[in-house]
Amino acid sequence: MTTFWDIVHLLTGTPLIPVAIMGLTWGILGGALPGISASITMALVLPFTYTMDPAMAIALLACVYIGAEYGGSIPAILIRTPGTNSSAATVIDGYELNRQGRSGEALGISLMSGVIGSLFGLAMLVLLTEPLSWLALAFTPPSYFGLGILGLSVIASMTGGSLVRGLAAAVIGLMIATVGTDPISGVTRFTFDVPDLLNGIEPVLVMVGLFALTELMSQSGSTTLTQLKDSVRIRLPNLAMMNKLKRSQTIGCILGLFEGLTPGGGGSIAAFMSYNEARRWSKTPERFGKGSEEGVAAPEAANNTVASTALIPLLSFGIPSSNSTAVLLGGLLMHGLLPGPRLFEQNPQVIDSLYVGSFVAIIAQIGVGVVLLPAAVWLVNRPRPYRAGFIFALILSGIYTLNMSTFDLGLALGLGVVGYFMRLCKFPFLPMILGVVLGHMVESSYRRSLVLSGGDMMVFLQDPICVALLLAAAGFVIYSLTRELKDARKAKLEEAHG
Amino acid sequence: MNRDGWSGLALLALAGAYYWATGSISNSTLEDEVGAVGLPHALALVLALLGLVLTVRGVVAARAAAGGRDGDGEERDASLLRAFGFLAFGAAYVLLLPYLGYFVSVALLIGSVALYEGAPRRWTLPVAAIGGALLYWAVFVKLLGVNQPAGTLFEGLFS
Repeated sequence: MTTFWDIVHLLTGTPLIPVAIMGLTWGILGGALPGISASITMALVLPFTYTMDPAMAIALLACVYIGAEYGGSIPAILIRTPGTNSSAATVIDGYELNRQGRSGEALGISLMSGVIGSLFGLAMLVLLTEPLSWLALAFTPPSYFGLGILGLSVIASMTGGSLVRGLAAAVIGLMIATVGTDPISGVTRFTFDVPDLLNGIEPVLVMVGLFALTELMSQSGSTTLTQLKDSVRIRLPNLAMMNKLKRSQTIGCILGLFEGLTPGGGGSIAAFMSYNEARRWSKTPERFGKGSEEGVAAPEAANNTVASTALIPLLSFGIPSSNSTAVLLGGLLMHGLLPGPRLFEQNPQVIDSLYVGSFVAIIAQIGVGVVLLPAAVWLVNRPRPYRAGFIFALILSGIYTLNMSTFDLGLALGLGVVGYFMRLCKFPFLPMILGVVLGHMVESSYRRSLVLSGGDMMVFLQDPICVALLLAAAGFVIYSLTRELKDARKAKLEEAHG
Repeated sequence: MNRDGWSGLALLALAGAYYWATGSISNSTLEDEVGAVGLPHALALVLALLGLVLTVRGVVAARAAAGGRDGDGEERDASLLRAFGFLAFGAAYVLLLPYLGYFVSVALLIGSVALYEGAPRRWTLPVAAIGGALLYWAVFVKLLGVNQPAGTLFEGLFS
């Protein structure tokens, strides 16, 4: 049980406050760069956390996520280019406000709505995550197997319209997870006498390769101009405006909560749903699309809520529901922290740092967001060729930090090639990441269960938690496939009707 | 052949190579029922099936579309070459790092990538490259204490 004094100690006896502000700053700057999503911003900083204290490292990553969600709205409002996927809905009215010469106001609304969404999300995270983790004591090897399968079932909603491609990506991820030392017998698999492969391929290399390197390769030669006005300043909304926005912010918070809890939900869906609902419930729906303040507040409150609530399934069950939470999961694994229920039992300091660090980052966001805007604008306005060179050098320097190994550098570049071809052939990344991070847990718990039961497969049906998790996984797969089929049918009908 | 077809064939090749590589996994006295090759064999089989589905889908779709290259093929080839050209700088960095050391390698990487991406050949290019290398060297080597290679050519200078 965390006491008030534990929190005081975290704030005064550890470097949590500077870590949170550093993470927030990095997140805002990274999120503001078009093409650098929240997950890429997190993946870039991931190798640097390797030598940090695990509690500080996880808090840093969570704060980067919070910062990136706000940072993404800066180019969305100023140049009609969302910095992150989840800020795409902000473009609609944010850019219209900018065109009307109200960019400072739009940025202020985005910032304050984001802060409200983040605070609500954090409260839900603190309230809901711990009760869910009570299941920890009852978890057995079959339960962990069920948990792994439930995690993998997220793939059904992340196939990007092609189940076969999504499944193939997941299988490739699972194949990568088999490299290294076998968890039961201890024999080596697919190491080809390379000592660097004995401990397997670290998920962080896969994430950096797929997200960051693939993005840089894809952007190579791009001539898109992203020039922001240097003179822009944030104007925070006054009380009357905040009162006007409370309905749309509430809608954003509620939908952000549900989408964050839903595997595969994510900030983008929450933002667009909130935008639609805010318009439906607005007293002035006709202003939406023409520079409505509510049209900025709702999606920003929603995607910032998701940045916290998406951590609930991750921390409680070890299920990453988005690319960003998958990177956070990579961070947990990198520090030897078993994601899922045991995290609360064995490493409460990590959870406390994450909660308190997130709170610090959210509050600091108001000041840092205002102060950092000129820096973000300056960064976005740097010539793209230099930006590409600096980011590439940063990625390679970061990867080397992990194990001081040039082999890791080659491996990450190779994974960048794999990612590039996957992207070219429309294979989604998240299933592959899930395969890499969950593969070990699924295989080892499955085989341990069979060893314990003497090879009796009924062991999985005799464990009530395993049965419940497997049923939930089946239900989720059926729900996702039904939704995908419905969407495809709807798209066909719309196409037929012109 | 369209994208599905090529993807399917690539998956089949990958599944075959992976299955072949399972032959090098040795037996252990601690072996359980599933064994160290159990999951790899299952994965190879599933991937082969998925590859087959994609290949068949690709062939059927290609026949329906009467085959041929799609219109933006040339554009795609150009961006493919560009992307691999970009990555080649990373590969060169990996190869040169042990010899040139971190500082020089990073400066060369920043400068060459910027040039490749269209930076004008002005005095700003070497300044940005050397300034960037100095910044990263200060952050990684001095601040974070990462033991980046000093390079056999310049050993002692930047360690």
